[in-house]
Order: sequence, then C-alpha cells, then structure tokens
Amino acid sequence: MNKIIVYTLSTCPWCRKTKNFFNEHKISFTYIDYDMSDEPTQRRISQELDAAGVNSFPYVKINNEVIVGYQPERYSKALGI
Amino acid sequence: MSKCGVVNIESRKKSLHYFFEKLVVPLGFKFTPDKNMMNFLLKQEVILEGRHGIPFCPCQPLRHDRARDMQIVCPCIPFHRKHFDDIKRCWCGLFVHKDVLDPDKLPQLPPKEVNNE
Amino acid sequence: MSERFIRAISANEIAPGGMKAVELNGSEIVICNCSGKYYAIQRRCGHMNAPLEMGTLDGIYLTCPMHCAQFDITNGEALSGPVPSDIGHEIPPPLLGKYLQNIGILMKQVRTESIRTYETKLKDGWIQIRL
Repeated sequence: MNKIIVYTLSTCPWCRKTKNFFNEHKISFTYIDYDMSDEPTQRRISQELDAAGVNSFPYVKINNEVIVGYQPERYSKALGI
Repeated sequence: MSKCGVVNIESRKKSLHYFFEKLVVPLGFKFTPDKNMMNFLLKQEVILEGRHGIPFCPCQPLRHDRARDMQIVCPCIPFHRKHFDDIKRCWCGLFVHKDVLDPDKLPQLPPKEVNNE
Repeated sequence: MSERFIRAISANEIAPGGMKAVELNGSEIVICNCSGKYYAIQRRCGHMNAPLEMGTLDGIYLTCPMHCAQFDITNGEALSGPVPSDIGHEIPPPLLGKYLQNIGILMKQVRTESIRTYETKLKDGWIQIRL
C-alpha cells in the first residue's frame, strides 16, 4: 500500500491538477494546504522544505520519494502504473 | 473598491496586468498565451494581495520572513532568473519566455532537476 | 453638482505623467496629465488622507506615497489597500513597541475607500474643473 502525502497551496492550479491526478486514478492520498494550515503546521512543513532544499509546491511524497512540481509521469512511475 | 473597501477583482487584475507586463517584457518574458491560466493566476494574486497586502506567487510558500517572502512577490523572475530561463517559464506559469507558443509543453521542474547543458 | 466649470491652471503647468495639487473653492484637488489627457481627483488618499500628488502616476494608475494604495484616476476606484510596512527584527523599546502594536490594531480597521473624481475640460489652454 503506497503512502502518499502532498503539500499544496489552495491558490495553486498545479496543486489542484496534482490532487486531480490521484483522484482520477482512484489512489488514496493525504494533502495539506499549507496556506490554510495553522502556524505550527506551517513551521513543520517549512522546515521539511528547507531540509529538502526546496521552495515550491506541489510537494509530493510517494513512500520515500519526493517529487516537486506537477509531474504526472513521475507519479505514475513511482506508483508503478 | 466599493464603499465597503472591497476590491473589484477584475479592476485589480487589469492594473496588475499593466504593471507586470512592463516588468517582464524587458526580461524576455510575456504573459502565458493560456488565457484561462493567466486569468486564474491573476485572480489568485488579487486574493493573496487582499490577504497579505502584497501580490505573492500563488504557487510558492510564504515563510513569514520578509527577506524570504520578498523573493516571491510577483513578478519574481529576477530572483529565479536562471531557473526560469532554463524551464522557459516562471514557477506558477503566469509568465513564459516570449517565444513560447504552447505553454502546456513546458514541464514544471524544480532547479535540481533541470538539465544544464 | 453645479454646472460650473472653474478655471484651475494652465495646461502647460503639468507635463505628461505629472500631477499638481490645487485648491478650488475650498476643495483640495489633484490634476493629473495622462498622455495629454487631464484628470482631476480628490487630493486626499482614500486610506489615510495622504497627499496623492506626492505619490507616483503610471498611466492611469496613481500610487499613494504613504502606504502605496493604488487608484484608477479615470474613475477614482481604489484598486489595492496599504502595503504592510516592515519594521525589522529588532525588538523596539517597550513604549515604542506598545505604540506600534496599538497603531497596528487600529490600522487593521481602516478601509481604503475609492476617491472622488471631477470632470475636466480644456479651454483656451486652461484646465477647467467642474465643482
């Protein structure tokens, strides 16, 4: 069972497309809209982005693989579909 | 704005378009030819400006640190020049290189994944 | 509104892109020259009354010098509110800190209203404004 966590922004169309990708392929995933989150959550995600050397959304974690930016081919590859 | 101090989104989009065009054209960029995307992103920026007083990029995180946040004020091209020149677009896709005709073909790649020739 | 157009200033007193504040019959007005077309607006910013002729005019858009609210001079519409100031990371002395905090709370309640515009007419090289 794949574990998928996605960090997104409510204002970002690419984040929307990312969520749609998983929905359309009927793959369950968890997402957090960074901009709608409380301060402790924002700080935690912020630290994670910094640790990964990244400063943009969508930020997709499929098991241990991190994919930044809307990259549907890479999602498919990571999921083996 | 109406008397209630609420901004008219279309009016604000129009003025942002005016200001941004003058800034990005000398940098070799233009608004994306995808009008739906352009309108959507400009609307998000008006919303962000309403929330924070500044039109930030709709696709990058606010760190609540002025020095970092200034780097994602639209148009943020000067702060990400090499990256955006490499992918021929800015991160959210509001702007693309002036010669781009099909913005859908431009992948959204982070700096680490861009092939540098 | 009366039908009277009142003579304000000579047209060549304002270069294209420029602005000038005048007072006519007790009304404070700023006249703007946008590529040879003259617009007249109320002088005081719809946010906190700063003098708009001290701001910047770009095309039909005027930016207030105090907090950068922006207006469309053709219809007076307020397009954006104040831009938040940055006072840095230094912790201010207690009294100043409390003052800034209070000002911050009050300013959150301040709206940016659209501004009044006035009809203009060019006659014999003079800008006239209808009051």
